[in-house]
Amino acid sequence: MQSKTVRNTIAVSLVSSALLCAAAAWGAPAPKTLYDSGDPTLALTPGLRGAEKAPPGAPPGNPDPHDFNGVWWMSGYQYLLGPEPGVAPPLKPEYMRILERRIRAKNRGTPEADASTQCLPHGMPRIMESPYPIEIVQTPERLTFLHEVAHNLRRIWLNRDHPKRVTPSFLGDSVAHWEGDTLVVDTVGLNDRTFIDDEGSSHSTQEHVVERYRKIDNGSTLELIMTVEDPVTLEHPYSYRRVFRWRPDVRPQEYVCEENNRNAPVNGITVAK
Amino acid sequence: MRALQALLCAALFGAVSAQAEAAPPDFSGVWFISTHVGALKTVEGHAPPLTPEGLKVYEAHRAAAAKGDYSFDGVTQCLPPGLPRLMLMHEPFEILQKPKVIYFVHQLNRLPRRAYLDEALPTDVDPHYLGYSVAKWDGEALVIDTTGFDDSTMLDNAGLPHSESLHLTERYQLSQDGKHLHLALTIEDPKTFTQAWSAQADYVKRSGVELTEEVCAATPAAKRPRS
Repeated sequence: MQSKTVRNTIAVSLVSSALLCAAAAWGAPAPKTLYDSGDPTLALTPGLRGAEKAPPGAPPGNPDPHDFNGVWWMSGYQYLLGPEPGVAPPLKPEYMRILERRIRAKNRGTPEADASTQCLPHGMPRIMESPYPIEIVQTPERLTFLHEVAHNLRRIWLNRDHPKRVTPSFLGDSVAHWEGDTLVVDTVGLNDRTFIDDEGSSHSTQEHVVERYRKIDNGSTLELIMTVEDPVTLEHPYSYRRVFRWRPDVRPQEYVCEENNRNAPVNGITVAK
Repeated sequence: MRALQALLCAALFGAVSAQAEAAPPDFSGVWFISTHVGALKTVEGHAPPLTPEGLKVYEAHRAAAAKGDYSFDGVTQCLPPGLPRLMLMHEPFEILQKPKVIYFVHQLNRLPRRAYLDEALPTDVDPHYLGYSVAKWDGEALVIDTTGFDDSTMLDNAGLPHSESLHLTERYQLSQDGKHLHLALTIEDPKTFTQAWSAQADYVKRSGVELTEEVCAATPAAKRPRS
């Protein structure tokens, strides 16, 4: 009985992850190429529809606006994280040229190495744009985000400010406070080994990310307004909106990015190749 | 001697009776292993009772390690170390405690582990590096049952093998002052051992410590923690 539940959950994960239906999450159809230029070498990877609402019969969302505990799964997923689907971040000209270079390399079938393909944490804001579930564990001092994808992990502190000197890391130093029913998360201390998004928009170590989370739809949806600032790579700050679905029917699975590097075991002993 | 030990344990870890209905003890916090465990020994201090086949694999691992060849060990390739080894490494972990789930979040490559409370073990589960864990409170002890293991991992830091039949039972008890955690573990794996056997480890709580973002893939191979 239990194993069936586990398997169903896995099946749901796979089916939902595999919904590759290109769909702009809202508004007008998204441009299919960078600058809406029609240039096929600048083709953008179409977005994903992402997670549906929890199936009928699943426990309803918790309406407590200050309790984010549970499994959340993004609806609508974009490879390019600008202010609108299909629109690039407001990169400075030299960084737009780098983005063009990366998109062209991808379209040639020779993408540049990025954090996710090297099993490194995905950086910000990219890690929040994931077609995999995120489990939030909320305790009095903080929120812990357990991302299924490549076991990314964020600790968001409610009880302290940023340290005066932050050691740069892939996901940065995050602190948060409540403004009414909105949780405002402030992240600095990011290293520059990651991209803003999957397509390859650059950020620097001076990137500053502010996330505003709020429960809507009686607790069945978590809304995020993401704001990205970077005085080095961006002309000006910009924001976009996303929603995550409450998915109590989903159990995050073990996701081992590094497995592809593994040598196969032979008779119980792993032999180097 | 055994009786004295039992008495000491009872004094250290407190009597568990009479409080079955009370809220479970709070295991939350950052924990470090007190005494590093290299090669697991039974609580009696003996070598684990390997079957001839198990011994063959173990000796192959030991011989390779003696030559500095750790290619048998997935940890060197950033794979999860498996259990109970993950609990025996020189790497801190934190426990997040919720009514239905106990989370172990390890500093080592940021590995999370979940033990679901008051659920039965699945009878058929796909193998995972860290298995599938269910838990229950037994008085003030937290008892975690895990099966569904991938057989490529090691039980300890010295190359002790296991099969997919491994069934691990962990029993965690908090000291009365809440600063020490004692783990009594039992390993059942008829394909690797002639009988079930038990071992132990101890942890100390560190307040005011934050775990750091440890990223194996960003760490040069020679510097990756192996024990």
